[in-house]
Formats: sequence, structure tokens, C-alpha cells
Amino acid sequence: MMKNNSSFLKNILDQKAFRTVLSALISVIILSIPLFNFPQQNLWIRIIGYAGLYIILGLGLLVHVGLAGMFDLGFAAFYAIGAYTCAFLASPHFDLHLPFLAVILIAGALAALIGTLICIPVLKLRGDYLGIVTLGFGEIVRMLLMNLTDITNGSQGIIQIDKPTIFGINFNNSTYFYYFIFALIALLLFLLNRIIHSRTGRAWLAMREDEDVAQMSGIDTSKYKLLAFAIGAFIGGLGGAIFASWQGSIFPDNFNMNVSINILCVIILGGLGNHFGVILGAMALIALPDILRGFSDYRMIIFGLLLIIMMILRPQGFLPRKAPQFEGKSSSSPDHEKEVQS
Amino acid sequence: MQKLVEQLINGLTVGSFYALIALGYTMVYGVLSMINFAHGDIFMVGAYFGCFTITQLSKTGFTESNPVLAIIFTFIAGAIGAALTGITIEKFAYRPLRKASRLATLISAIGTSIFLQEFVRLIPKFGSLITSIHFGEKNLFPESWRAAIINVTQTFGGAMVKTYPGILGTAGIKLGEISISYSRILIMAIAIVFMVLLYLLVRLTKLGKAMRAVSEDKETAALMGIDVNKIISNTFFIGSALAGIAGVMMGIFYLQIRPTMGFTPGIKAFTAAVVGGIGNIPGAMLGGYLLGLAEVISIQFLPAVYKDIVAFAILIVMLIVKPTGILGGSGGKNKL
Repeated sequence: MMKNNSSFLKNILDQKAFRTVLSALISVIILSIPLFNFPQQNLWIRIIGYAGLYIILGLGLLVHVGLAGMFDLGFAAFYAIGAYTCAFLASPHFDLHLPFLAVILIAGALAALIGTLICIPVLKLRGDYLGIVTLGFGEIVRMLLMNLTDITNGSQGIIQIDKPTIFGINFNNSTYFYYFIFALIALLLFLLNRIIHSRTGRAWLAMREDEDVAQMSGIDTSKYKLLAFAIGAFIGGLGGAIFASWQGSIFPDNFNMNVSINILCVIILGGLGNHFGVILGAMALIALPDILRGFSDYRMIIFGLLLIIMMILRPQGFLPRKAPQFEGKSSSSPDHEKEVQS
Repeated sequence: MQKLVEQLINGLTVGSFYALIALGYTMVYGVLSMINFAHGDIFMVGAYFGCFTITQLSKTGFTESNPVLAIIFTFIAGAIGAALTGITIEKFAYRPLRKASRLATLISAIGTSIFLQEFVRLIPKFGSLITSIHFGEKNLFPESWRAAIINVTQTFGGAMVKTYPGILGTAGIKLGEISISYSRILIMAIAIVFMVLLYLLVRLTKLGKAMRAVSEDKETAALMGIDVNKIISNTFFIGSALAGIAGVMMGIFYLQIRPTMGFTPGIKAFTAAVVGGIGNIPGAMLGGYLLGLAEVISIQFLPAVYKDIVAFAILIVMLIVKPTGILGGSGGKNKL
């Protein structure tokens, strides 16, 4: 009975039509939330917008882990770099007030640059070792933010970050950020979809499935790894800049290890390698605990249990990546999906 | 000179913690080739079991009358509590994933780590939750039980910092100018005793031989009649017990414990295991002491807050330069 149930659920989740309907439904709900008046509307805009921020971060980490198969446990570092860049360039802290679009691009570019620099020495590392190195990197960044008090103001954080103005529109309430975030998500989804189906995407896929074979086939794995790390870090930096300008103040503790793990949970729940799954994962992880306020104390323990159970029962996530169908024969077998990657 | 020697002793004390915890990482890596991310939290659980025991013993006045016995009981409680946690984790979170990818196992380990931290933090809440279960008028537990459950859960865990009663105080011996507190001597002695015991166990006993065989090749070991599951379970038991002992030591030495205390020592002990050569038992001990000394030396040149950064930097440099570690062979041949 149990078995039947779970395979039924599996079949439904794997249906293409189901996915299309689901994504259409989610988009309609998301876009219509600020349009109607209902009680506690501002709270909802903040919650869903926050989940949207995690979708952006999740898409960035997805490029590292899901697409290129590079395990990254320190993604909060790029988020932090983006946020602090924004805080430096658009606040009274250094008395700089650059326009938001410039700030957000610089934040992304700086995160991408640092990501590339970090990636160069660790190109040879694989799997869990890479995970531990990135975790170390994430902690180093957080400790530097905490301790370089002359520059970052330490645990006091940076406050009074400018509210953005784009094309004359002043982002003076959360609704603007809400639409900005979801517009950016749409753009990122479009771009990622293009990359996945390009030469680069195929190189990543080959690398993730088997690095040695990919290298043998003439793929420059170093180049594609650096590219993946830079793109992922760039997206992380964008997320950080949006977070900083939305919150108006940032502190080193906004970027601790738990943030990295939350982002990882988002993409794992959604299904590694599937960029639409990230949306579902972020909604489930970030928005649900806020909606079920009474359970907020139990939020993290449920995360922990969920991760374990998920890995045992459905390691491929809610909406797993479809194995590519090549001409002639279907390459997907039931075992194939289980091998996330090593 | 005096300051230098005191700093070196400090380094060896801290190194003892790292070495004991690193042994657990290295043993698990030896038999399963996985990084037990939750190991630092097993260490934390050990510290909490020890804290609970010594607090209860102090309440009854046992600690004052038999301080030595009280300390021994505390260590036993910490070791057994951590060991049971370790084998439970292995059974429920790692064993079903033995054939899965390494990423899946690592994520499960991260989940376990979060779960343990949160469980210890929320124990008092669970206590009041289960005592409030009732069927109609009748409560699940009788009145006296309820009080006991609430009392036990509140003494055991919680979000707040728990304090070890200061058993050893700051007393110590003086060698000329240099003073060494008893707690430091105790910690170093216990660490060395257990490391020697472990080394003898792995080298000389039948269990040790089986562990080495499993780390070499699980399938062949199974064909030779070794119960692989039992050996892996035993490895978790021993590694976690050592972490529990380190947890109690940490409590006795620093007096304060909290649910998140496992993260930093855990990651540093992992560094120690990598520096020494992961999968290699003498390597873990060497790595632990080297890391302890490196931290102490770094304090001489940099502000103390940077000592964690130094440890992470060593980890990254080591992984880049020689991922197999100082004593590790090439290709992970000399496991255990």
C-alpha cells in the first residue's frame, strides 16, 4: 500500500503536464499577491519576496552544485560579498551613493571575481573535499566581516543603506522589491535555460556525470569549472545586493553557515539540476515556516529531519532533473536518477 | 621563556581536544570513506551527557565526598551517551545511504548535524510537550513522573548556556616559574591514554584487524566472514565515545557548553584529520597537536580573534598542497 502510494506520487510529480500547470499556477499566485487587498498583505509580500530572494540564491548555487557538480557549502560568502559591496557603495558609511543598477552589477562582478580566485587553487578537488574547502572559505569571509571593524564596522553592521531608484521609480516599499525580485528570477530562469541547452551546459552535464570521461572527450574542465563558479557567484552577489538595499542594514551574522545550508536545502528539496524545482524548494523551505508561525521554533529541526528523510526516500528532489533524451534510446533508467553525483 | 612554555602547554591542551575528535573523523572515513559532518555535534552531545551527570552528582553531594569517582562517572556518561548517539545516527541516517552517492550521504550528515543541535536546544520544550499529552481528563503520565520529566529535560538541554560545576578549580602544580593547572594535566593525560589504547586496539585485537580489513575492502572483508555492518557500527561507537570524552573535557576545562559548541571544534578537528592524513590514526593525533600548536603560535603574531581563520586557512592550504596529509599515503592506501 505504502509502495503504491509513493510510486503514484512519483508518477504525478514526474509528469510534464503537471509541472507546466504547477509553474503557471505559482506564477499567477505570485504576481497577483500585491494586486488585491487582504489582511496582512504587507507581511505576505515580505514573506514571498524573501522566498524569491532565496530562489535567486538557489539559482546561483544550482549553477555550482546542480549544473557543474561542484559541491559548495560556503555560498553565503558570495551573498555576503554582494551585500557588503552594496552597503559600501550606497550608504553614508563611506559616503558613496552610486545608482542601484551600477551597484548591483558591481556587487555581482566582485563576487564573481572572488569566486573565480577561490576556485583556481581548488580546481583539482572533488566532491566532499571541495565542500569542506568552500565551507572554510565561507567562515573566513564571515569572520573577516566580523573582525575587520575599520572597514566593515564589525558586528555593528552597516545601516542606512540607500533605497534604490531605477528609472525614476523610488523603491520606498516592499512591493517594488517584490516585483524586482520576481522579474530578475524570470530573467535568470530564461538565461539559465539558454545556458543549459548550450555548449557550456552540455559540458557541465558531462563534467558532472563523470569528470574523467569529460576531460578525455576534450572538454576543458578547468575552464568550465571556473565559468560555473563565476556565474554562480555572480548570481549570489546580485542576491546579496538586493538583500542589503531591501533590508537597509546588514550584519555579519546575516551570512552565517546556516544561510549556506538553507540555500543548499532549497535546491536539494527542489531537485538538483532542475531550475524550476528551485522555486518549489524555496517556497517550501522559506515561506512555509513563516506561514506556520506557531512552529517557528521547530523550523530547523524539521529541516534537519527533512534532509535525512529526503536523501533516503527521494534523493532526486521534488522535481528532479530530467535525464536528457538522446536519439535512438532512452538514457534514463531508474538507477540513473538516484546517482546525484559523487 | 616562561610565557613560551605556558603557551606550548596551552597548545598541547587544545591539541588534545582536536586529536581526540579527529580520531572519530578519521576512523569513520577509514571504514566508510565519508566525512561524518555530524561528528562535532556528537562531541556536543557527549558534553551535555557529562554535564547532566555531574550536575546531578553535585546536587546529591556525591562530588564533594568522592571527587575522583564523580569525574570518572562523568566521563563514562559522556562517552556512552555520545557513543549511543553515534551508532543510532549510523543506523538511521547513514546505513540506508551506503550505496547512494557521496553527496547524498554528506547531505544526510548535514541534516543529522542540524537535528542534533536543535534536539538538544529543544529538549525542555519536548519535555513540556509530552507531559501535556492527555486523553480526555487523564494525562499520559502520572503527576510525579511529569515533574521528573520536566526536571530532567530542563537540566539536560535548552537554548541557554549550561555550566559545568568547577570541579578542579584553578589549582595546579608549579615547576619553578611555570604553573600548570590540574585540569590541563588531566586533559592531556586522558587524551594520551585513550590514544594509546585506541592504537593498541586497532593494531593488536581481532576487532582492530576486522576494522582494518573493512577499511581496506568492504566486499572482500565480507567474503572473509567479517560482519561489515557490525564493524562499522563498532567503529562509530568507538569514534563517538572518544568525541564524548573530548566533550566532557571541554566542559571541565571551559565550564560552559551550548548546543552550537560542536561546530568550530568539529571543523578544526576535521582540519587536524586532513593535516595528519585522513583515514590514518596516528596522523589524526599528530594533526590535532600540530593544529593546537599552530593556533597558539598564531596568537603570538595576530589578534586572538584570527585564530579560527588560521585553522581554516591551514585546512585550505593543506587540501590544495597535499590532500592526503602528512602521514597519508598516496591514494588513501594506508587507511587506519
